[in-house]
Amino acid sequence: MIEKLNKTFCALPGVGSKTAQRFVYHLLERDREGGFELAKALVDAMEHVKHCSSCRTLSEKNICNICANDVRDSSQLCIVETPTDIHAIEQSGVYKGKYFVLSGYLSPIDGIGAAELGLDELEQKLRNLKVEEIILATNATVEGEVTAHYISNMAKQFDVQITRIAHGIPIGGELEYADINTIAHALSGRKNYD
Amino acid sequence: MTKVDLTPAFLIHRRAFKESSLLLDFFTLEYGKIRLVGRGLRKSKTNIQMFQCLNISFSGKGELKTLSNWEVDDTPRIIKGEALILSMYVNELISRLLFDQDPHFKLFEIYKQFIVQITNMNQQAGYWLLRLFENNLLSELGYALDLSHDINGNDINKNNRYEYQHQLGFLHADTGKISGKLINQMLIEDIENMPDAQQLKVCRDLNRQRLNPLLGNKPLKSRSLFFTK
Repeated sequence: MIEKLNKTFCALPGVGSKTAQRFVYHLLERDREGGFELAKALVDAMEHVKHCSSCRTLSEKNICNICANDVRDSSQLCIVETPTDIHAIEQSGVYKGKYFVLSGYLSPIDGIGAAELGLDELEQKLRNLKVEEIILATNATVEGEVTAHYISNMAKQFDVQITRIAHGIPIGGELEYADINTIAHALSGRKNYD
Repeated sequence: MTKVDLTPAFLIHRRAFKESSLLLDFFTLEYGKIRLVGRGLRKSKTNIQMFQCLNISFSGKGELKTLSNWEVDDTPRIIKGEALILSMYVNELISRLLFDQDPHFKLFEIYKQFIVQITNMNQQAGYWLLRLFENNLLSELGYALDLSHDINGNDINKNNRYEYQHQLGFLHADTGKISGKLINQMLIEDIENMPDAQQLKVCRDLNRQRLNPLLGNKPLKSRSLFFTK
């Protein structure tokens, strides 16, 4: 039983057998109650958390809180790769629109194409809802760029403004230490100073 | 124990590996296609990117070796839009068709040129460049096509029409779709003087016919990313 629990903890990212062992003995010897709570919370989450039927993020409800919130601007749709990206953007507090989660990026070699990212769903959404702007917030990687390009091509058929998040020098960063690609992007995407 | 110091390479594919590492597929000058593990690279701020000539060092004992160092040996490049899709397609071809650790010196140079040229090309010219790359790739793999003579040993005539006989070559036929001019343009790899849209499609179909048997029953996923069918 201990062995089995040990192996189960190893399924978590960054947890090897040594750390797993520490977890197991801590729960068994010092915190049985915490162990029960953990088990219950895990079962609850595994059973009830699913993908939001509107934006595909993880949610315990059929429609997640952000999608269900009428105060948020539904004319703006921000497209991100993962649910954790939503969390990052929400923390910045500047975005008040809605989201769409791809759960990955286009990766032909791995066999991940448009269907796997739910782009048909996105197309339906653009067709049926009144979206005025889509913000392509995929990562600043080649794969993220390919995905953004594909989506922008698909969205051109609709009357919608297509924008891409800016790439450049991080706040507090020094030019000297930025890599040449970032500098090239930052220069080509420069804005009027006001 | 293998230890390789700073060899020219292009990253052609990467995927997440364990918590903070990456599995990286490189196309290198001296070692052909090789897969390495980049430990802790997912957490690094400046990440290793595709379509840039790099110098990489790696070492290790087993089959999967570890990337120990890398540096960029190229000017910054921003490939956008359709050119980016074409470049991804080329990466998928290399990933699927080359054998591991089988060097292809000439192809490496051609790939390097392709990346430089595609960056500033319009769509039609990009497709033509891609067709020429496919030709070179097939030749490197040992499936070169005789572009100077037809099946019967006669010189290809610019004004004639031809049809393609699989694995044999071109056959002179008045109803053939392939113009002698196209075959000639493929031979001299003339980037400036490209075929018209209709012959470019013929060229695409020809290469597809040649590539498909090598790809087996798993089609290239990048093809579904092409919008202009």
